[in-house]
Amino acid sequence: MREHLKACMQAVLDGDSEKAEELARLTLEKKLPLLEVIDGGFVSGIREVGRLWEEGDLFLPELVMGAEAMKRAMIILQPALEAGGGKREKAGHVVIGTIEGDIHDIGKTLVATMLAANGFEITDLGADVPAGRFVDEAERKGAGCIAISALLTTTMPGQKRVIEELKNRSLREKIRVMVGGAPCSEKWAEDIGADGYAGDAVSAVALAKKFMA
Amino acid sequence: MKMDFMEYIRNRAVLFDGGMGSMLIAAGLGEREVPEQWNFLHPERMIGIHTAYLDAGAEVIQTNTFGATGIKLSASGGGSGLDPSEVNEKAALLAREALDRFEGTEGGGGKIGARFVAGDIGPTGEFFAPMGKLTSERARASFREQAVALNRGGVDLFLIETMYDIREALEALKAVREVSNKPAVVELTMDKKTKGYFTLVGDTAAKAVEILLPEGADVLGANCTMASDTMIGLVPEFRRHTRAPLLFQPNAGRPEMSGGTAVYRQKPEEFAADLARMLDAGANAVGGCCGTNPDFIRAARKIIDEKRLGK
Repeated sequence: MREHLKACMQAVLDGDSEKAEELARLTLEKKLPLLEVIDGGFVSGIREVGRLWEEGDLFLPELVMGAEAMKRAMIILQPALEAGGGKREKAGHVVIGTIEGDIHDIGKTLVATMLAANGFEITDLGADVPAGRFVDEAERKGAGCIAISALLTTTMPGQKRVIEELKNRSLREKIRVMVGGAPCSEKWAEDIGADGYAGDAVSAVALAKKFMA
Repeated sequence: MKMDFMEYIRNRAVLFDGGMGSMLIAAGLGEREVPEQWNFLHPERMIGIHTAYLDAGAEVIQTNTFGATGIKLSASGGGSGLDPSEVNEKAALLAREALDRFEGTEGGGGKIGARFVAGDIGPTGEFFAPMGKLTSERARASFREQAVALNRGGVDLFLIETMYDIREALEALKAVREVSNKPAVVELTMDKKTKGYFTLVGDTAAKAVEILLPEGADVLGANCTMASDTMIGLVPEFRRHTRAPLLFQPNAGRPEMSGGTAVYRQKPEEFAADLARMLDAGANAVGGCCGTNPDFIRAARKIIDEKRLGK
C-alpha cells in the first residue's frame, strides 16, 4: 500500500497521465481504500507540485501536466467512489472567470485546474464575463466563493463591479471574493473590498481553503 | 545613404521607444477596441505617437502590431474584422511616414546618427502543449503572414518581443528568416525567481542564446514583466553566454490603481538611471515597455548623451 501511494504521488509529480490512469485502475482492481489512495497518493502529488512551483523549481508545463494527471486519475476513481457511498469531501464551490472586456484565459484556467485538483467544485465561466453573470451563477450554484481574473489595467475595475453587484443583491456576506491577474495586488484587493488576492494558482488554492475553513 | 542597423548597434548605445498601450489609452483607445484597429481608425494619431517618441530622442520606433498575428486578431472582438496583412502593412507605412516627416523637419536633437522602424511581433496568445494546442505549423504560418506584410510596409528590422516560450519565439524568428534578411531582434519576457530569471515556461537566457542565435537572431534581450531595477540583474545573465548585441525594455515599475485608472509611480529619471546601469552592465540597446511614455525616453536620451554611454 505504501509503495502504491508513493507511485500515485510520483505519477502526478512526473505529470505522467498514463501512469496515473494505470494506477487508478489498479486501485479499483485491488479494491484498495479509495479515499486513502486519493488523499495520500494523488493529492499529495499535486501538493508537492504546488510546493515546487512556489520554490521556482518547476514551471507552467509541469504544473499543467501534474494537474492533468491528477484529473485523469480522478475520472477513473470518482464513479467507484460515489457508487461505494464514500464521498471525498468537497472543499467548496468556486465560480471562476475572467472579467468582461478581457480575453486572457490561461491564468484563470490554471487556477480552476488547481482548485479542482484540490477537491473544489468549479464552475468555470470562461473569459469576457459580465459582472452580473458571476453573481447569477454563484447564486444559482450556491457557491461560497467567486474568483475573478483581470489581466488588463483597463478591465480591473470590473472586479469591483462584481463586488458591488453582490452588495446590491445582499449576497456579500455569503460569498467570498478573490481577485487575481498580473496588474492586481493585495492593495487593489483591499481597495475594492475583495476578501483576498492570489498571485498564482498555488496561492489561490491556499486562499480558497482559508475562505472555506 | 541608409545606415545599417547592425552596424549602428555595434558602435553605440541605441535607444528604442517606449510603451504603445499606455499612449493609446491616453489618446482615447476605447475599452472594446484593440490597439491595431487604430492603424485604420486614427492614422494621424498613430503618427503623432511615433513622432512623440522620435521627438523624445528614440532612435528606433516600433510599429503598432504587437497583437497583429492572424491568431491573436481573430481571438478578439475588435480585431476579428481586421485583415492581418492589411493591418501590418498599414502600421509599417504609418511608422515609416512618421519617421520620414520627422527627418524632413530635422527635429530631434541629441547625438543621433540614424533612426529606424522596427516591425513589432508579439505572441499569438495561444500556448504550445501541454498548456495549449498551438502547433509549430500554425504559429509559423501566422507569423509569416505578419512578417511578409511588415516587410512590404518597409520596416528596417524585426522585433519579436514579449515571448514566454522559446518554441514560439523560434517560429516567429524562422518566419522572419523565410521572408527577409533584415536584422531580427528577439526579446523574451522573464521574471526573477529565487533561482534566477525564467520565462513562464522555465526558459532561461542561456537557452535563448543556444537556440535563437544559430537560427538567425541578430540581437537578443528581454522586455516587459519586470520593473527597471529588477531587470538590471538579467543583463549579465545574457552577457555571460554571448557577445551578441543585447536589448532590454523594462516596465515603469508596477501599476497601481488610482480612481479607476492605472498609475505607474516610477519617475522617468529613476527609470532612465536604471537603463544607464543596464548599458553599463553590457546592454547595447535599451527602451521602455508598459507604463513608459515619451517622458521616460527623453530622460533616457538625456542620460545616454550626458554619459556618452556605449562610447
